[in-house]
Amino acid sequence: MRTFTLLLLLGTLWLGACKEKTYVYEVNEVNVLPNNSEKDKEKSIPQFISILYANMYQQALSPDQMVDISELIASIGDKQLAYEVILAKFVTDPDVQIPSDTEMRNDIEQFVIDTYKRFYVREPTEAEKTYFINYINSRPNVSPLMVYFAFATSDEYNYY
Amino acid sequence: MKRRDFIKKTALATASTIGMPYILPSGRLFARNGVQMAGHVVFVMFAGGIRQQESMLKRYLAESQGLNIEGNIMYNMLPGAPPELKIVYGVTSQDGQPGGQPIDPILDTPLQLQGTLFQESRYSAGGTGHYTGLVTGVSGNYGVTQGLQARPQNPTIFEYLRRHAGFKATDTWFIGNGISGSTPLLNYSAHSNYGSQYGANFFAPNVTFGEQGQNHLKGFRQFHPEEELGPIQEMREFLNQNYMQVGRNIPNLNNTEEEVADIKNFIESTFERLDNGQIAFPPVTDNGDLSTIGYATEVLRWFKPKLTVINMSAVDSCHASYTNYLQALHRGDHGIAHLWNFIQEQIPEMSGNTLMIVQPEHGRNYASNAITDENDWFSFDHDSDENSRRIFNMMVGPCVDANLLVGSPDNPIGDAADVVPTIAEVFGIKDQVLSSGYLQSGAMSLFDRI
Repeated sequence: MRTFTLLLLLGTLWLGACKEKTYVYEVNEVNVLPNNSEKDKEKSIPQFISILYANMYQQALSPDQMVDISELIASIGDKQLAYEVILAKFVTDPDVQIPSDTEMRNDIEQFVIDTYKRFYVREPTEAEKTYFINYINSRPNVSPLMVYFAFATSDEYNYY
Repeated sequence: MKRRDFIKKTALATASTIGMPYILPSGRLFARNGVQMAGHVVFVMFAGGIRQQESMLKRYLAESQGLNIEGNIMYNMLPGAPPELKIVYGVTSQDGQPGGQPIDPILDTPLQLQGTLFQESRYSAGGTGHYTGLVTGVSGNYGVTQGLQARPQNPTIFEYLRRHAGFKATDTWFIGNGISGSTPLLNYSAHSNYGSQYGANFFAPNVTFGEQGQNHLKGFRQFHPEEELGPIQEMREFLNQNYMQVGRNIPNLNNTEEEVADIKNFIESTFERLDNGQIAFPPVTDNGDLSTIGYATEVLRWFKPKLTVINMSAVDSCHASYTNYLQALHRGDHGIAHLWNFIQEQIPEMSGNTLMIVQPEHGRNYASNAITDENDWFSFDHDSDENSRRIFNMMVGPCVDANLLVGSPDNPIGDAADVVPTIAEVFGIKDQVLSSGYLQSGAMSLFDRI
């Protein structure tokens, strides 16, 4: 009986020693976007073209189209030029998703933020935002297409 | 000023002007050390692997299939009568015989009689593989440790010319017959002292203007130069400046804005001319080499490049079909003649002022493999046997002797690596290229081999 009591006591102590207090931590929701200095990997041709297509059409490029367009880019020595002419072909397609001029000018700041997120996957800095707001405001002939074209053919867009 | 003083000062001024170094776009000081021998060079890499037996030796079926039938199937390049029996290399004849109708010659005088032929040269190092051969052709170095799917290890002739002779990007073109087998990587090297900023422009026109181009390029939007492109460039410049702070930009060929616009106009124009049937394709254009030649004439007509390198490869069908090989050889001759004829007759700026060089990248084996074609003829590979190291080189143009034959099967003269110093000599930068330390040991200008 004494032995049984001793074992029971030891067992109770053992179980009690393993019991751990549980803590639950929570974090605030934060939208994490890279800044441009972290983009140091050059996009491959298929990566570039599929991302460009997705940015312009808001839908995925089919595998067949990706192969065709990748081959086309490989057939032109100046890659920057190749990207430009491929994009210039995209923008002739009515299915391309580009905001209207009115939409852009109704809220230029939001347009600039959206464009940075769309093409650079990041927020603009204050300096960048100010530059584009001023640039678009001061030039009535600048269209959303022209802004998109500048972003999609810029150096930063070629890296991730 | 006294007359004697005047003469003295004038002479000194003239001498100093002649000796004055040029300041190149690269910022490097350079004094041309040679006389420019021609305004333009077109180098045709008659690649794919050509046996001397069916080309220079005109043996047709006699040294491949055990049939005693000889003859010259490259009669635009070489003098000599064509075969009279078992004609398979032409187009389909009126009676339906495939290849039974030889293609009509284009040139009255074969190129050999107009120029200088190194009839027996050597591919002297490395394995006789296509990419190694092509790399040797454009870099003058066999680069025996050169890998596939990698840019040439040593600078190409394009980079030498752009860096040392101050050529702009659209002065140098590489026209590839496709995008397979690392071909698009030949327009500049991976060398740290040279690279993309000195590279040549490149098209694989069968793709650029073929099905892929028709579907995804034709009809691209041309932005208005001032009203649209101006602001686009301003905005892009701002974006690039911000990103440049982290030290990266897209590797580029340093085409100027004017050159970029010119190339875009060329692409647009070529699609239009294609639709209108205005591209100067050779009279017979039924393979990729010949369509490549046709598009190359468009590049020549539009840009009038100082150096154009054109790559062919159809003869490589010899791995599995000797008949197709003969047809491709015959068509290569046809295409080269068309190209030469076009330059002389259709491009006044290049006519009489262009040196054309033709050289295979390597040869093919002497012994056949076991594959037979529709005529039960054996096929041939290229496995670095002695026969596959036998090549030829032909030069025709204003600065070469006509009807000059150099070397012989018993006395080979010239090397596959010689083309680069040869072109360098034509443009007056031979010393810079030879002293660069990047050429194959022993490589020298073909003019110095004569």
